[in-house]
Amino acid sequence: MQWLTIYKKECLESARNYKWVWVPLVFILFCIMDPLTTYYLPQILESTGGLPDGATFDIPTPPAANVFMMSISQINTLGVLVIALITMGTIAGERKSGVAELILVKPVSYTAYVTAKWAAHVTLVLLSIFVGLIASWYYVQLLFGDVSFIHALSTAGFYGLYIIFVISISLFMNTWTKTPGLVLFLTISIIMILNLVTSVFSHLLEWSPTNITSYLPSLLRTGEVGQDLWLASLFTIVTIVLLLFGAIQTLKRKEIV
Amino acid sequence: MLLTQNVLDIINENIAIIAPLLIIQLVLMITALVSLFRAETTNGPKWMWALIILFINTIGPIAYFIFGRSHES
Repeated sequence: MQWLTIYKKECLESARNYKWVWVPLVFILFCIMDPLTTYYLPQILESTGGLPDGATFDIPTPPAANVFMMSISQINTLGVLVIALITMGTIAGERKSGVAELILVKPVSYTAYVTAKWAAHVTLVLLSIFVGLIASWYYVQLLFGDVSFIHALSTAGFYGLYIIFVISISLFMNTWTKTPGLVLFLTISIIMILNLVTSVFSHLLEWSPTNITSYLPSLLRTGEVGQDLWLASLFTIVTIVLLLFGAIQTLKRKEIV
Repeated sequence: MLLTQNVLDIINENIAIIAPLLIIQLVLMITALVSLFRAETTNGPKWMWALIILFINTIGPIAYFIFGRSHES
């Protein structure tokens, strides 16, 4: 009951902030930008000019699956930044302004407070990403060729897991400091370091959460979920639970001063 | 002249494909403006945000939603 109340309050706040309008729109834009620009690249080059007369070069049309993956890599950079930006103040800001104190003075458990906030953000962001990726799938289907909808959906599902992981990192950082800017900085740096380490030691860290993205192209083409992907997903779920647990514990120990 | 003609041709031929993109950008801009007019205070002057939303495509409204809204309530 209590959990649902906080969850509803969070969703209401997101609606009042127009987040329920602009976050889905922005993710759709991110997702359809790449298929469109790739499709129109020859025309764009032609009309912007700069090529000497008679110069011709053929730009091979990329396979449909690659174009869909472009949308995902777009979310991986700009999308993750937007996610970090919208979650940076969710607990840190409330603690700074004293709203958290008002809430936690009532018999509200820290667990409910943290997990309800987490769930509210996960709902908003996952829905936005799914809508965006479906739009991207539609354009790829229209302009480039066949990509199985079921494969695209399962790709989006596994990618969603990685996004939940990103939100969890941000929420965990939220409990460590009261400054939203610092939360943003810490979240982005951790993801960048994870990406770097994983790409350097990729043969050793098959289970790393950031590796999920690199397993997605083969999932999209064949529809088969490889063993490495299962392992990485399992590890990601465990990490998400640990991050949430850690967040609750830090918040408890700080006792909201 | 020739160049703009060319671009217009491309847009005319492909309006069905490009339309959703334009509509989304328009909706984003309008929501940002509505939110701006209804807000009592913003971070920084309101007219500055109005200009940013109107003239910077896509990034402008996003920037307003993230940085422009003041959370003091």
